[in-house]
Amino acid sequence: MGWQIALYILLIVALFVLGIRLLRRYEKKHNKRFQVSRKLEPYLFIMPVLILLLLAFGYPLINSVVMSLQNYKLTQPGNSYFNNFGNFKTLFADRDIGLIIRNSLIYVVASVGMQFLLGMTLALALRRKFKGRGVYQAIVFLPWAFSAFVVGLMFRWSFNGEYGVVNDLLMKLGIITEKIAWLGTPGLSLLVVILAMIWMGVPFFAIMYLAALQSIPEDVYEAADIDGCGAVRRYFAITLPYIKPTVIMTLLLRTIWVFNSFDLIVVITGGGPANHSQTLPSYMYTRAFSGYDFGLASALGVILMVALGLYAVFFLKVTKYNKAGDF
Amino acid sequence: MKKRLVAALLCLALVLPITLAGAATGVELRFIDVSPSPVRQEYFEKTFAKFQQETGIAVAYESVPWDDAANKLTILGASNQLPDVITTWAGWLGQFTAANWVIPLKDYIAGTEAEYTDTVTKLVWKGENELYGDTYTVPDGMMVKGVFVRKDWAAEEGLELDPAKGWTYTEYFDTVRKLTNPEKNRYGTSFRGARGAFDPLFVYLQTFTGGRAYADDGSALFNSPEATEAYKIWNGLYLDGNAPKDSINWGFIEMVDNFTGGLTGTLINDSEVTATCIANMEDDEWMVMPMPASDVDGQIYNTINSPYAYSISANSQNPDAAWELIQFLTRPDNNIEYCKLTGLIPIKKDVGDDPFYGPDGYYATFMQQLNDPKLVVPCAFGPFSYTDMHQGMMHEEMQKYLLGQQDAEASLGYVAGELENRMKQYLADNPGSAVEQPKSLSD
Amino acid sequence: MTDRMKRNLSTSGRVLLLAAYLLLVILPIYWMMATSLKPHTEIIDAQNLTYFPQAITGENYDQLFSMYNYGSMLKNSVIISGSTAIVITLLSILGGYAFARYEFRGKGSMLMFFLLTQMIPGILVIIPLYVIFANAGLINKRFSLFIYYLVVNLPFCVITMRSFFERIPYTLEEAAFVDGCTRWQGLFKIILPIMFPGIVAVFVFAFIGSWNELIAGTIFISTSDMWTVPVGLKSLIGKYDVKWGVLMAGGVLALLPTAIMFAVMQRFVVEGLTAGAVKG
Repeated sequence: MGWQIALYILLIVALFVLGIRLLRRYEKKHNKRFQVSRKLEPYLFIMPVLILLLLAFGYPLINSVVMSLQNYKLTQPGNSYFNNFGNFKTLFADRDIGLIIRNSLIYVVASVGMQFLLGMTLALALRRKFKGRGVYQAIVFLPWAFSAFVVGLMFRWSFNGEYGVVNDLLMKLGIITEKIAWLGTPGLSLLVVILAMIWMGVPFFAIMYLAALQSIPEDVYEAADIDGCGAVRRYFAITLPYIKPTVIMTLLLRTIWVFNSFDLIVVITGGGPANHSQTLPSYMYTRAFSGYDFGLASALGVILMVALGLYAVFFLKVTKYNKAGDF
Repeated sequence: MKKRLVAALLCLALVLPITLAGAATGVELRFIDVSPSPVRQEYFEKTFAKFQQETGIAVAYESVPWDDAANKLTILGASNQLPDVITTWAGWLGQFTAANWVIPLKDYIAGTEAEYTDTVTKLVWKGENELYGDTYTVPDGMMVKGVFVRKDWAAEEGLELDPAKGWTYTEYFDTVRKLTNPEKNRYGTSFRGARGAFDPLFVYLQTFTGGRAYADDGSALFNSPEATEAYKIWNGLYLDGNAPKDSINWGFIEMVDNFTGGLTGTLINDSEVTATCIANMEDDEWMVMPMPASDVDGQIYNTINSPYAYSISANSQNPDAAWELIQFLTRPDNNIEYCKLTGLIPIKKDVGDDPFYGPDGYYATFMQQLNDPKLVVPCAFGPFSYTDMHQGMMHEEMQKYLLGQQDAEASLGYVAGELENRMKQYLADNPGSAVEQPKSLSD
Repeated sequence: MTDRMKRNLSTSGRVLLLAAYLLLVILPIYWMMATSLKPHTEIIDAQNLTYFPQAITGENYDQLFSMYNYGSMLKNSVIISGSTAIVITLLSILGGYAFARYEFRGKGSMLMFFLLTQMIPGILVIIPLYVIFANAGLINKRFSLFIYYLVVNLPFCVITMRSFFERIPYTLEEAAFVDGCTRWQGLFKIILPIMFPGIVAVFVFAFIGSWNELIAGTIFISTSDMWTVPVGLKSLIGKYDVKWGVLMAGGVLALLPTAIMFAVMQRFVVEGLTAGAVKG
């Protein structure tokens, strides 16, 4: 029911306002700043978020670790038992696992890398005002607003080797002479998925960087101009350090997100041909729902989480994220 | 004072979702449709209204897009939330029965068997009893496979195709090759290399084994030397360019789109596709041939299914009312109306002389096959409680062959080895069970 | 090379780049729109690809509303995504502020936990949630999706909000404190106005994140009158055929709310509201 949500939001807003009111009153009365003691303050701020997340993710996180060690069929949940790392053994015995890991790496590096480069370029190009910039932006940010499966379907259809518009266009332009079976050729099928991913993801990077670029004070650049900095040096000496926290966080979050997202793969290629566009998460999804083997799927999920967790720690260490924000 | 108010509000905010939720639940049946469309929803809601008038039992219509239906039913089943009446596809039954999500219907059906056509009693139900030990579904309508052919292209090539006379696989492959014409951008067949690729192929392979997939001890029969040759011929259609190169990754949708869109000359598919052809093609562009007869024994091997059969879930609090609903839905008048809307063949004998299903109707070839004494239903992959074989391993192995990454022997051998292991495991796990036998109407 | 020449060169390079990118973005969107205006037989005609609709028709849009009840899907999606985005924005202001401005015990592990929630495959969360919702009678209620979208989008939004906070120099607040402002006043009077573009951005992120979600939508919702836009569009993919025209029409129309938001957002993010403020 819509009104349930409306009421819920109203309540939260009311709490928000009321809390502030209370604080104000307290401050006025005691004629001093409200001090729950500075130590407790951050916890108060984070508490609502933390409680929600713990409620929603705590159990699934623990449960998936437990399931990964069990023989757990969704069709027979009462019949599960620990199987001595059997799921992990099965996984690594799979003869296509090497190919799938390779695909995953190519997919994530190529997608995120290109999204980052294009997004950054776009943001830099849009930094200075020009006529029609508003309209331009409203249009080029649109791909991000599409449903992944609509985009996926669109790409699958456009890259169809026989009646797809891409081959037709390339032939009319004289770029190719023979039809290319995009989705039926190892390598190319993964490329189509990556292209779709890039197309959808660039606006996110552009928006984030554009917002970040806006917060760089003009006088910094003015000073640099006096020093006679070139455009490239200016970028690496001033712009990049300034938006470094944003760059690091977007790269990290998007890598995790892109790595985990499989809807484009499932829609466009279904992992084919012969697993040549299968990645670990799409493989997991297929295994979970075709074999109903949630033990195996969870094992894959745990491996994914560990790998991504290590990546996150490593990435944050190397980029010295926590030192980046200080100016 | 204010603090208390805040506390109260906070409690309310947390409790609200739970208290607001548990609202009215009357005595009402839930029904889930796994292939919703406006036409189907309208039919069901109209029929449910009639049902309520006659029996006083209300039915709620739920639905889930076909693409996600299997996943959703699995989650519903695993959390004991399946609606009373569910529509199921035969491929899911292994899992549903193994998990005890659906209840046996034999006792309900008892005494009314004579109302149903032979295809239902001698083929579908017999198969279910062999595989799962009881009857679990009442078909919503029957569909049988046929070969959709471009009538006009065949005429251009001087081919004479007569549905009444039928054809053999050799003749069918010949036709495919003749219909291929690169200059006109025409391919002989809508080849399927992705999900479900093995379904029609498995039938073809069994034309060399008398319709059997496994020997009594569970060893695979469909990779015999003759069958392996057949495997090469079948895939040769693709390798020799009688199908688009792209089709290695085609599923249902591309197959049908390419046939109705005028790229391919033949399409092996269920009778349900007839409706799509009627909607998108001119009558003089297409025709339906029966499935080719075996080159070995002349029998017509063909699978017979109901696309969205009715089952009663084990969660149902009112299985008797649920059965009443199924009976109502399959009453001849309701069933015929349903079948006409959805392109299926009715399940009750009482079809009368409806011209829709007569010799001049769109379904003539399908009806003819269903009445053919030479019709044999070959065996399925096996009564396993999982369905990954429809999606993963099988077509991936086939694709590796099509890509030249392994030879035919290795490709088919791997699939046969996997299935054989599963079958033997199944026989060992279920004492008293036996491998499935081919079925025909004359049995 | 004179400065002027340099500038001209960089300007024309920029224009070229922007134009090329625009083309890449527009082509697929144009193709969708063109498809949505074609009759079905023209769309699937494999021998004859038409770049402009031969006979422009509105039948796909008409069917979308008259047969497929698109209006109700839009309504559901707007209610769910809108409310989710509002609540997420409020909560991430609080959370982001704490992460950006405080050092406290457990900060690192909390951040790690937030990241972890983004790594866990969604389906492993949906199933246990489904059981809880079913027992609480929340299935087929918009509320269930609201909760789910809230929790899956929160971590990302909090972390993003944090990075927006971090870009604002702490000296600004300190100056305010010196002037006798409380922490709250500092937050509300000084920082949030500067942050406004970031807040709008987070709102849009949260909105889009819920707007396009599909899997939970199919699992938690069971009747077609409660379908969200993606679920409804997914139902246009049948076993044997896809209603391409209607699907594309629905896809195009689903862009409208976000397009409007982008138009609003670019006013804030683009016009450089922050630049001046930070300077002062």
